[in-house]
Amino acid sequence: MSAYEYDAVVIGGGVSGIMASLTLASKGFKTALVSRGDPVCCLSTGCIDVFSHSDEPLSGIRALLPDHPYSLVGEKGIVDALSFFSEIMEEAGLPYEGDPGRNRKILTPIGSTKCTCLVPRTMAHADMPSNEYLHVISFQGIKDFFPGYITSRHRNSTYSVYDAGVPTTLGIAARFDDASFLDAFITWLRGLEIPHDRVALPAVLGTIDPASVVEKISRAIGRKVFEIPTLPPSIPGLRLFRALKRVMQNRGIHLYWGKEITSVERQGCTVEAVTLATTGRAKRVQGRAFVLATGSFVSGGLFAGRDSVRETVFDLPVFVPVERRDWFNTDFFSGGHSIERAGVRVDRDFRPVESKIDNLFACGSILAECEIMSLQCGHGLAVATGVAAAKSCAQGLS
Amino acid sequence: MTTFEHCVRCTLCVENCPVFKVNPAFPGPKQAGPDAQRFRLDGERSVDDWVKLCCQCQRCQVACPYGVNVSEIILKAQLKYSREHMSPFAAHLFANTYHLGKLGSLVSPITNAVTSSGAARKIMGVLGLATNLPMPEYRFLSLNRGRRRKGRRRSSRKVVFFHGCYLGFNRPDIGRGIRDLLSGLGCRVVIPGQTCCGLPALGNGDQEIAKKFARKNARMLVEYIDQGYQVVYACTSCGLTLVHDYPEVLELPEGRKIAENTYNVHELILDLLENDAPDVAFGEVDRTVAYHIPCHLKALGIGYPAAGIFEKIPGLKTMILDDNCCGLAGSYGFKKKNQQTAEKLGTIAASAIKALEPEILISDCGACRMQLGHYTGLPALDPSEVIIASLEKGATKKSRRKRRIS
Repeated sequence: MSAYEYDAVVIGGGVSGIMASLTLASKGFKTALVSRGDPVCCLSTGCIDVFSHSDEPLSGIRALLPDHPYSLVGEKGIVDALSFFSEIMEEAGLPYEGDPGRNRKILTPIGSTKCTCLVPRTMAHADMPSNEYLHVISFQGIKDFFPGYITSRHRNSTYSVYDAGVPTTLGIAARFDDASFLDAFITWLRGLEIPHDRVALPAVLGTIDPASVVEKISRAIGRKVFEIPTLPPSIPGLRLFRALKRVMQNRGIHLYWGKEITSVERQGCTVEAVTLATTGRAKRVQGRAFVLATGSFVSGGLFAGRDSVRETVFDLPVFVPVERRDWFNTDFFSGGHSIERAGVRVDRDFRPVESKIDNLFACGSILAECEIMSLQCGHGLAVATGVAAAKSCAQGLS
Repeated sequence: MTTFEHCVRCTLCVENCPVFKVNPAFPGPKQAGPDAQRFRLDGERSVDDWVKLCCQCQRCQVACPYGVNVSEIILKAQLKYSREHMSPFAAHLFANTYHLGKLGSLVSPITNAVTSSGAARKIMGVLGLATNLPMPEYRFLSLNRGRRRKGRRRSSRKVVFFHGCYLGFNRPDIGRGIRDLLSGLGCRVVIPGQTCCGLPALGNGDQEIAKKFARKNARMLVEYIDQGYQVVYACTSCGLTLVHDYPEVLELPEGRKIAENTYNVHELILDLLENDAPDVAFGEVDRTVAYHIPCHLKALGIGYPAAGIFEKIPGLKTMILDDNCCGLAGSYGFKKKNQQTAEKLGTIAASAIKALEPEILISDCGACRMQLGHYTGLPALDPSEVIIASLEKGATKKSRRKRRIS
């Protein structure tokens, strides 16, 4: 069955692919997004790390080598893309705060801090001076959130535990969506008569409108309240993804979810369609241009074989910096690993080099030289390159 | 082929599980599926009675980025459990919804009076049925009675309509609307005698009954496919059963052929509009609608074709919601032990819809419409009803214009 031709088909449902499709749709192009499952962003803290290697992300980026994907986007491009992201989150009802010029350090469940740039409003007060007093609230039976870790590092802190009736992050978050549960919780919280200025909770304060939940609690107890991101299942990651998806659907982007791409139809130097392994019968999704945002090894955009690295959809040439025996550093946590530099190399227009395809653009962590782990720039790079690749794609389309 | 061994335990399935969200007794798809699968051995009796708390919405499977067949693993574990244990009465009852429907529609006035009476509700409670929801009404003039062929005999587009039990017995008016809609777009439509797709039996642990139903349908459908017909379904759960469960779970030899020749009705209409009948005039429908995507439409992976048609209707403002399961999940929510879960999920899904302040609720699935119509108090329509309303308006405008010209 021949169908519907889209102007652009974005492959990959992570932050990068979503930002690319939103950019294309905002320019009036009929856009589809294809994803084989939910993105890794659902497992993330929901924070946007732009460049956590230094306190000032933009100046840190300026010092990067010219072949880093950030250098292709340029400082203005990065700042514009991040403000486009913030606008979208505002529209989605999940407002973000932060400044690309300065990083903030937010509290983690083990009491250490994580350096990041944009944070959901529920974490706005998470960047706290070390001399301030803190009260931590935990929940009965919740996994991987032990206030003792925090109090042992922050001598100025205390904690209490609430019984929400369920021990799981998702279960508790669903309860916070219910106004009567929230009221009962607030009554309990008031009864504690917390003397400290700040109150921290694991990030389980609702799935729908967490900013309002935090505000309601803050107002009721007159304290600065903030969330601490937890291990997966991560509620802030889920909120981020769902909010972005909602905006995509409001803007008429068609989603094809949950099925892998099995083949690609090419005509000379042009990709015409991709075929999805839909239940029962394969589904063709036709487009005039394609954006590849399938991610790196974890997301399945790249596949490491015994002695080669493969790009999984178009079989594009992949840049691998060193021999396999040198892929990893002997020290896991410092210095980074050479394999992080592997990926698809692109030109200034985000077209994969040596691919012999004219209507294909790539963005996100599949790009070569991005070193996401050591530079800690995952979501920021996804946003910046997603928007930039989509702009190039839009130019190619018109 | 991806198996439970490919699970990397990322918990994306857990984030998407509606039952896990509201019922702490269910350990979630990761544990019920891939984790527990390591310990399920042939010849060893199942002990995991909580596996039956899964409502088979398949959201876990859609979410899994590694292609693990999470809900299929759970379904097979449910079937294994049911084979080895006595099933409760309600399960036997719901496995046979087709026969109930047949009888219910034959004596529909009596059925409708009885199911809504207080005494009957008490008896239902004793039998393990949920009593908080109104039972669906039955219609005498089912799709099996009435005109079963329509459209030009020589048309190049020949479709056989698999309407399923709900449109057949409860809403034959929608079924007849779809028949006329397809024939109006140039198809030759046939509504042959058919039985239940088999999903209620699978969902209630009775693989044998499911297979009996499936074999009967498969024989009939293949006969039409061999004559150049395409199979069309409107109920997304029937559709998923035809294209997924017939070949994969029930392992019918004809399964593959059926799967390859079966289309969602709106997928087909969208194609007809793009290729065969591009000059169809849609009339204005000045309404704001919330389109609740049934879990099984999501699981089909074909996108949301009805939304593509809605874009062509002037004045129609559509808001898509695809993050919530309505909680009824076929017969799941009609069982007393699931009543609370279904109620909570129904309330969650309904409040998400009401927050958008729509005038009408739309969903492809009869069960979703029943549940969410009840919890939102909104009129709940099938997408085809909206499309038909728009086309009727467009047609009158067109004929008026023609008259004026002549």
